[in-house]
Amino acid sequence: MKAAEIYRNTAAHVNRFIWSRRMQRVKMAALGQHTNDGWIARIMIYFLLSVLAYLYLQPLFYIVSTMFKNLNDLLDPTVKWIPRTIDLENLRTAWLGLNYPEAFMNTITIALACSVIQVFICAMTGYALAKLPFPGKGIVTFLIMLTFLVPPQIIIIPLYVVYSKLGLLNTPLVFIIPAFLGQGIRSALFIIIFRQFFKTQPATLEEAAKLDGASSGRLFFKIMLPLARSACLVVFLFSFIWYWNMYYEPSMFLQNDYLPLSISLNRLDEVLTGLPKGYVDAVLGSNPVSEAPKMAAAFLIIFPPLLVYVFLQRWFVEGIERTGLVE
Amino acid sequence: MKITRQRHKGFLRYQLQQYGVGYLFILPWAIGFCMLIAIPLGWSLFMSFNKVVPSQGGFKYNFIGLQNFKDAFVKDNVFPIQLIEYVQEMLIMIPVIVIFSLLVSLLLNQSFPGRFLFRAVFFLPVIFATGQVLTELFSQNAGKIPFLDQYDLEPVIRSYVGQEFAKPILSVLNKTIIVLWYSGVQILIYIAGYQTIPKSVYEAIRIDGASPWDSFWKITLPAMVPFISLNALYTIVDLFTFPLNPVLEHVKNNMFKPDTGYGYATALAWIYFAIIFVLLALVLWMFNRSTKRRGDGR
Repeated sequence: MKAAEIYRNTAAHVNRFIWSRRMQRVKMAALGQHTNDGWIARIMIYFLLSVLAYLYLQPLFYIVSTMFKNLNDLLDPTVKWIPRTIDLENLRTAWLGLNYPEAFMNTITIALACSVIQVFICAMTGYALAKLPFPGKGIVTFLIMLTFLVPPQIIIIPLYVVYSKLGLLNTPLVFIIPAFLGQGIRSALFIIIFRQFFKTQPATLEEAAKLDGASSGRLFFKIMLPLARSACLVVFLFSFIWYWNMYYEPSMFLQNDYLPLSISLNRLDEVLTGLPKGYVDAVLGSNPVSEAPKMAAAFLIIFPPLLVYVFLQRWFVEGIERTGLVE
Repeated sequence: MKITRQRHKGFLRYQLQQYGVGYLFILPWAIGFCMLIAIPLGWSLFMSFNKVVPSQGGFKYNFIGLQNFKDAFVKDNVFPIQLIEYVQEMLIMIPVIVIFSLLVSLLLNQSFPGRFLFRAVFFLPVIFATGQVLTELFSQNAGKIPFLDQYDLEPVIRSYVGQEFAKPILSVLNKTIIVLWYSGVQILIYIAGYQTIPKSVYEAIRIDGASPWDSFWKITLPAMVPFISLNALYTIVDLFTFPLNPVLEHVKNNMFKPDTGYGYATALAWIYFAIIFVLLALVLWMFNRSTKRRGDGR
């Protein structure tokens, strides 16, 4: 009799123990040991990120879906995302309206040339600020910060006069020469990125190179610049994309012959309707007929940088982590 | 004696040479700064005190003192309103962008399968958040957040917040996509920032029995303060040159009006610049104080 009772007690104990272990395991699985390895946390993360990712991608979807709509689909409220027929006519209109091959060449000339130059010049300046001794470094750093804050709108008119005196207007040189002089698009930011990067490099490297008799120029080009590959990539990509998308400066400096894509997009309405821009805006408002070609044009514009990004994305993210954009 | 002097001379020469190298490296930047920043800045400041009339082969300047600045607030019936509205909007947008990108970067910093895919999506805005494409999207109303219309939130907000505040809040909500799209670089900066916190600190605090919640408030957030301030500054500068900015549009329109001209337009731009500068100084001062109080000189 007693033995049976002891047995029952023990069995209950063991059962309870097993049960609590099981509960704990479920709890562990659900909530996790750290923040992020339980499945509740994981589902939350995925859910939040998916919603946000949808919001991010929505305009992109909008561009692509509108691009393929013909007029009937555009005016039909029941057609929201997927057009009934895939209409490539818009793409053709946009191609012709943007004068795509020429505008593309113009844009890519400016973007490529300027961003390559900018990588070199900003690396040089950043290196000097991080590693080379010279009096007045503090002032230079302060002035660089200041240039980051000066809005282009303040100095655009004097710049316009300067460039027109030099005869640079309506040529790509109007962007290439400033890039050479370290005043390209957001160059201050890039100089600071390079400065932070070179600061993290140990001084022993330079000392060793100097002992081996390398000149400063050689030291910079043969040792420091290759070391800064990840920073170079980040700067190049940012710079390329910002030059590609730049609108304000070209709208001032490149008005006649040398049109980049962003300006052509702005003028698409005029080209398509043959009416002056102000008239189109005032009378037609947002013109539904030109909506689809415009989106096709937008797609044509963002497609090349998108392609570049897809290929360089992996290194880009790694590079950002490694550049040590640290204060 | 002679030897030491010679040595001293040699050292001096060496140092000068070193300085020379440094100056050589920043020479292009220095020339660019003088030609393309300093002179135009001084010139535009000079212009803002003048009535500038384009004449043959140049400009004619009539000095009118502070008249342009006075006109901006007294005569112009568009500029002050636009300015106040835009600053109001920015004051809401900046914290929203900074906090939003902090949260997203926190999520993206967790390790989970498929992270690189999400990261790729979230850096996408860096590619075309600038420029004409976005403007075009906005003119077609594609920049709206879909929930706002679906659930008809507008009257709800209006009745709860009050007319005065509802306007900027609604305009921010209408630009939610912009908020999202303008936080790409900020997310990048935060993620780079997380890499500066050593893993061992987290391990130590976990062994001490802190929950992840604690470790966020005690470790992550304090370490991120410099990056938050960097992002706040970047956001201000970024919004400042926003493509849809009504104030800058107004400045640009005034440039080519015959009765107002360049002088007036630059005066407007300087007023705008001054306001942003004050804002930046305020943010810098605030963050400096908060880091000093914590007692580490970052």
